[in-house]
Amino acid sequence: MNPNKDNENYANMLIEESMKKIHYQSYDNWICNFALNLEYIWKETSANELTLTDDKLVENQKSSAIVIGKGPSLKKFHHLELLRESDYNGTIICCDGALIDALKAGVTPEKFPNFLVATIDTDPGIKKFYDHELVKKHGQKIKGVFSILSHPSAVEQARQTGIKIHWVHSLFDYNEGKKSFNYISSLIIRSKNHPRGLPAIQTGGNVGTSSWFAAWMILKCSTVALIGINHGWEEDDSWDTITRHGLENNSTDIDRNSSSFQKLFPKVFNPDIGKYCILDPIFKFYSTALKEFISRSPSWLTTINATEGGSIFGNRIKSMPFAEFLKKY
Amino acid sequence: MKTNFKKIQSPDNKEPLEKPGLETEKELSQEEFEQYVINSGAKGSFMIYRDAKSKKDELGIAEL
Repeated sequence: MNPNKDNENYANMLIEESMKKIHYQSYDNWICNFALNLEYIWKETSANELTLTDDKLVENQKSSAIVIGKGPSLKKFHHLELLRESDYNGTIICCDGALIDALKAGVTPEKFPNFLVATIDTDPGIKKFYDHELVKKHGQKIKGVFSILSHPSAVEQARQTGIKIHWVHSLFDYNEGKKSFNYISSLIIRSKNHPRGLPAIQTGGNVGTSSWFAAWMILKCSTVALIGINHGWEEDDSWDTITRHGLENNSTDIDRNSSSFQKLFPKVFNPDIGKYCILDPIFKFYSTALKEFISRSPSWLTTINATEGGSIFGNRIKSMPFAEFLKKY
Repeated sequence: MKTNFKKIQSPDNKEPLEKPGLETEKELSQEEFEQYVINSGAKGSFMIYRDAKSKKDELGIAEL
């Protein structure tokens, strides 16, 4: 028995319970999103179409994917430029928020033919990630992985650029049986054109973790590298930025002298890169989940964190500078 | 989910730690966390899917 570990597990459970409670505050909106997406879900493709057929599967299980998040290390270490200049021939999975920056940097589907973008967020604000001339220019060669709960206006914006939509379920209540929304929505979807249903992915709370899941669970890539997945702040980020979770128009009123402040914003040491990073509660939630799922992933999967910063380290996570990854893979 | 990473340089978070370690042992209470998430406006995040009866399903389901 390790009392510290037990305390940590208990605290993580409390955080997850809180997130669940907060999550359900938007439940009605997700149902509306699903209802408005349904006619397209029936007409469009399942994300399972992204899985290669059996004869090519073995080959793909030796292949790699790079998940691109929009964390600050992306710019700090010029990772997009490094990628653009490389001859990498694996899969690119871009988180929606990083898509425009990636295209601006020359990381395009022309250069990297197996180029995907992922959206799981239910918020209409995601639309802006697809509303750009570069997305319109390259959209027809980009494959999109979208949650059935994504906001219809965001999906439509992506669709208008030519991005081909591939649908997935976001798992959240399937354990509740026949009355669960995951179960009911799966029956509705299977009733027309999708007899085998759709793949359902663990989101881990954010699109970065969802993209990692898509890379190995749907695409069956045996090596998944992460860049721009910091899930934490750096020591030279201002407290103002950190306490607002980076949101400029946020109004948080947190007393930095209060006893809870250190609990809310712990500083953690990442031994793989020899640097500290600072977590906020949201990043702690994301980071804890992603690390847990990596540690539980199938043994045939290798996860490489090439972010060169942040809070993702530990069991089954191999850290490596991105330049080194590009040389090896 | 709605994060942007515009950085404002500030030296005031570089105070040395009393006890370096892999991770602080202090943890959040549920109330502290909820209050922060609500105040931060970052409430669009998905929850973690848990299934005590089928831990395997927590890693995803191929065909649902």
